[in-house]
Amino acid sequence: VIARTLVIGLLLVTAAVLETALFPAVALLAVRTDLLLLVVIAVALRDGPLAGLRVGAAAGLLADLLVSQSSAGLGLLVMTVIGYAIGVARPYLAPDSWTAPILLTFVASLVGTAAFGTLAMLLAEERAAPALVVEASLLVALTNTLLAPLVVGVVGRLSERFPLRGAATERAA
Amino acid sequence: VFQRRGARVLLAALVIAALVLVTMDFRAGDEGPVAGARGRVTAVLQPIQEGIATLIRPVTDAAGGIGDLFAIRAENQRLRAEVERLEQRRRSTVDLERENAELRALIDLADRLEFDTIGARVVALAPSGFEWTMTLDVGTDQGVERDMPVINGDGLVGRVIQTTRSASRVLLAIDPNFSAAARSARTGEIGAVDGRGGEPMTLRTLDPEADLQLDDEIVTSAYQGGLFPGGIPIGTVSAVGEPGNRLVREVQVAPFVDFTRIHHVLVVVGAPVEDVPPLTDLQDLEFDPPPVPPTVERTPRGPTEDGDAGDDADPATDPDADPELEGEVLEGEVTDAAGRAARVEALAPRPRRAPPPTAAAP
Repeated sequence: VIARTLVIGLLLVTAAVLETALFPAVALLAVRTDLLLLVVIAVALRDGPLAGLRVGAAAGLLADLLVSQSSAGLGLLVMTVIGYAIGVARPYLAPDSWTAPILLTFVASLVGTAAFGTLAMLLAEERAAPALVVEASLLVALTNTLLAPLVVGVVGRLSERFPLRGAATERAA
Repeated sequence: VFQRRGARVLLAALVIAALVLVTMDFRAGDEGPVAGARGRVTAVLQPIQEGIATLIRPVTDAAGGIGDLFAIRAENQRLRAEVERLEQRRRSTVDLERENAELRALIDLADRLEFDTIGARVVALAPSGFEWTMTLDVGTDQGVERDMPVINGDGLVGRVIQTTRSASRVLLAIDPNFSAAARSARTGEIGAVDGRGGEPMTLRTLDPEADLQLDDEIVTSAYQGGLFPGGIPIGTVSAVGEPGNRLVREVQVAPFVDFTRIHHVLVVVGAPVEDVPPLTDLQDLEFDPPPVPPTVERTPRGPTEDGDAGDDADPATDPDADPELEGEVLEGEVTDAAGRAARVEALAPRPRRAPPPTAAAP
């Protein structure tokens, strides 16, 4: 469990660092990619609502403290809820489907980013105008969807290597 | 079930924690504990971020360079087009400046010479290499007539040799068929400037010993009722021939006008009247006829000749001797009746001369 926590923590930090250091430098991906949200979705898809919840909380906190310049707590709120929701929705997806996780990634990225932007706008952040929120949501959803196979694959491998205790029972449920 | 319940509890706790965090951060602004935590996380991860940035910078620079390549190529094309456009504009500006200077010189000369002129544009130059003419875009409709002088800002260009309603042809001053009365502006020496089919032109002075020097300005002269009004600059003396044994001294004149670059000209339709009035206009001119030498040589007469021959020297009685005098007498001072009678008697027909003796003999 400790190893898994460390690995997931490292994955999140890596995602955060990549998101802040690498993506802005690479023209193609500098568009907008919420890699942390993508990791949360991938973990929740793989390991269920509790894991999604925890990873979402950690990722949200990291995003609040490192990536986002909006009010701290917004990322925590949004990613926690997204992680939980994806975990809850997971049993309803076809287990061997590739399109379902990707579609879900698209929808979750869209909703998560839109929720984050809307909350930031409500908290009188000057940057967040409605049009900007819509545009950013669509872009993040699209780029996250493009990267989804890669991230879901990596997270799947890591989860297999460092399995969650009781994952088998949860998956069976 | 426990896990799900636990998850829900955890979710609720996290949501509440998030809301608290939002509230705290929102109220504390940049100086609260959240901001401090943010700073610390950033401080911890900043070296890693910088390391990654350092690592990937060459790659991103290369990628950016590739991306820029297209932008630079597009910009290069745009700038080339811009340079082309500006170059064309500069060329047209240069052309406009030249045209402006040409027209200014034109107006200046016309004003100086006080000519009535018509502005014209040169629409064509000579069609062949052995005649030097050009076509103007003005014709009889504009008042152009044959033999009108044509000038530009530099001086004499030629004269009109053919007109239509809307165009006219001009014989250039350098054409071999062109000739104009001219004089030296410095000394007033009179001559004629002829074209030679190119530059320079030649000046034939009437006086072979005329005082002409290099760079003397040659202008048109109205001498002998020449076609051109006086004072139009023609050119400068570029070479003076030796008087030698030729009757007419040849002087070369370099024209002021550059005949290869004529674009605008003026057709002189009226020139100020010369100050010297025609001789016939003078009423009080004393006419003193020069003594006319006798046309028939006076010979001593023989006794066989007609007796009337002795009256030969008396013009009053012999109307044939001086017909002009006869008119003068008729209109002259003879007023009294006696004189008139005498004139009538004198004018009465008389045998002009005695019949030859040979005729009287048979």
